[in-house]
Amino acid sequence: MTTNIDAAAERLLGAYASGVPCEPVRDLITTADDAYAVQDRLTGRWLGEGRRLAGRKIGLTSRAVQEQLGVDTPDFGMLFADMAVPDGAEIPAGAVLQARAEAEVALVLEHDLVHERHTVADVIRATAFALPAIEVVGSRVRDWDITLADTVADNASSGLYVLGGRPVPLKDVDLRLCGMVVERRGEQVSTGTGAACLGHPLNAALWLADTLVRVGRPLRAGDTVLTGALGPVVPAAPGDVFEARIDGLGDVRAAFGKEAR
Amino acid sequence: MVDVDMLAERLDKAARDALPVAKLTERTPFDVATAYAVQRAGIERRRRRGELLAGVKMGFTSRAKMAQMGVDDVIWGLLTDAMLTESAVDVSELIHPRVEPEIAYLIGREVRSAAAVESAVTGVAVGFEVLDSRYRDFKFTLPDVIADNASAARFGFGAWHAPHDVSNIGLLMEIDGRPVQTGSSAAILGDPARSLRAAARLALGAGLKLEPGWIVLAGAATAAVPLPKGAHVRVTGAGLGSVEVTT
Repeated sequence: MTTNIDAAAERLLGAYASGVPCEPVRDLITTADDAYAVQDRLTGRWLGEGRRLAGRKIGLTSRAVQEQLGVDTPDFGMLFADMAVPDGAEIPAGAVLQARAEAEVALVLEHDLVHERHTVADVIRATAFALPAIEVVGSRVRDWDITLADTVADNASSGLYVLGGRPVPLKDVDLRLCGMVVERRGEQVSTGTGAACLGHPLNAALWLADTLVRVGRPLRAGDTVLTGALGPVVPAAPGDVFEARIDGLGDVRAAFGKEAR
Repeated sequence: MVDVDMLAERLDKAARDALPVAKLTERTPFDVATAYAVQRAGIERRRRRGELLAGVKMGFTSRAKMAQMGVDDVIWGLLTDAMLTESAVDVSELIHPRVEPEIAYLIGREVRSAAAVESAVTGVAVGFEVLDSRYRDFKFTLPDVIADNASAARFGFGAWHAPHDVSNIGLLMEIDGRPVQTGSSAAILGDPARSLRAAARLALGAGLKLEPGWIVLAGAATAAVPLPKGAHVRVTGAGLGSVEVTT
């Protein structure tokens, strides 16, 4: 099995290195545990290269996406500091393979979350503030032909992320019923609300906190948590500029460069 | 020559019998202008039975729906007091009802121009609309659905709030306590206030002034879902509270 996990990790790393999507890895691994073992292999490699872990992303948080993949839990991936893009800064075309954009609530922590079981109150107390975010997801797997195992192994299809610049304390925003709209050149491409993310973005964060303690990489003060999409994900083409507005949180932009790398 | 009254009668009967009919355009092709004439004839039949006009409902207010129907403007229909629901809908009176979350406006003063409509609004609320196409399988062309009063069947709304910016508020629809739809009011033409202006424009264009006490249903924030018997539906809007209905 170890060989298969290594082989899956190598296949995905090959796609990163070449910029050419690879075949799915589900021929090598099938269970979620094995898929996380592949992800952990990638994480270890990247940490060894000196990349700094800056947070986590939660995926598969909407009922529609869970039904599509035939799962009933979310998943998570690692966010590294070099994946953070300033608001509106150009994202070079090709920086993310098969890029798609989605608007999310980001939480920034000021305390560690290291208990075996957390409560929503623990998560609220650990959160310094919320920010509006656009997650640029991508897939190293050809044509996004993914199962749960494929996306988990592929760092939960992480790419880059853009954070807005105005911190909002949780007491000042209704994360369950904040309206969300994404526009591309003024044209509306996605709408939604916080309840689309596991009923409440804090529910997703709670799941993540407990899960990460179990796997031995708990959330720490300073970590950013991307809690999950508030509405449908949108394919991103070279030259696209997306603006996301989340009621009570503000706005944030993701600008894709025109020229291919 | 299209027999407008005959077409209106067929739809009116379908609604009263709760039995679907074939698309009118299958046998009698007609244009959008004629479709609105059929709609008005249907409303006249209701008025002769004692129903009173209660407002306007907007349809096809989402980009996705417009694209699906191949149109670039919204459609509208008329609401009567008989469609207003206080707390319960008897679905046995309907053919294949669907429910969707709405933003509702209360008109406080007569609206003489589309530009003046916002100053005439005295309340905004979260609402719901029960749609019930009189056509078999809920399938129709654009003229068909306009003739069918934009599938209007029942509607309701929660407590009125002072008019304020509701351009991007979260909406949640639950059935029996479980979330079935989530969305933002921004899905309604980017801002429900645009739909409100369109309502005034279309009504004035048809020789109708929005009147004090009328309701404007601005459009759906999410897709509609089937409304079963014995269901408890609740629609909640950020800052607007909620509205409930049982079947």
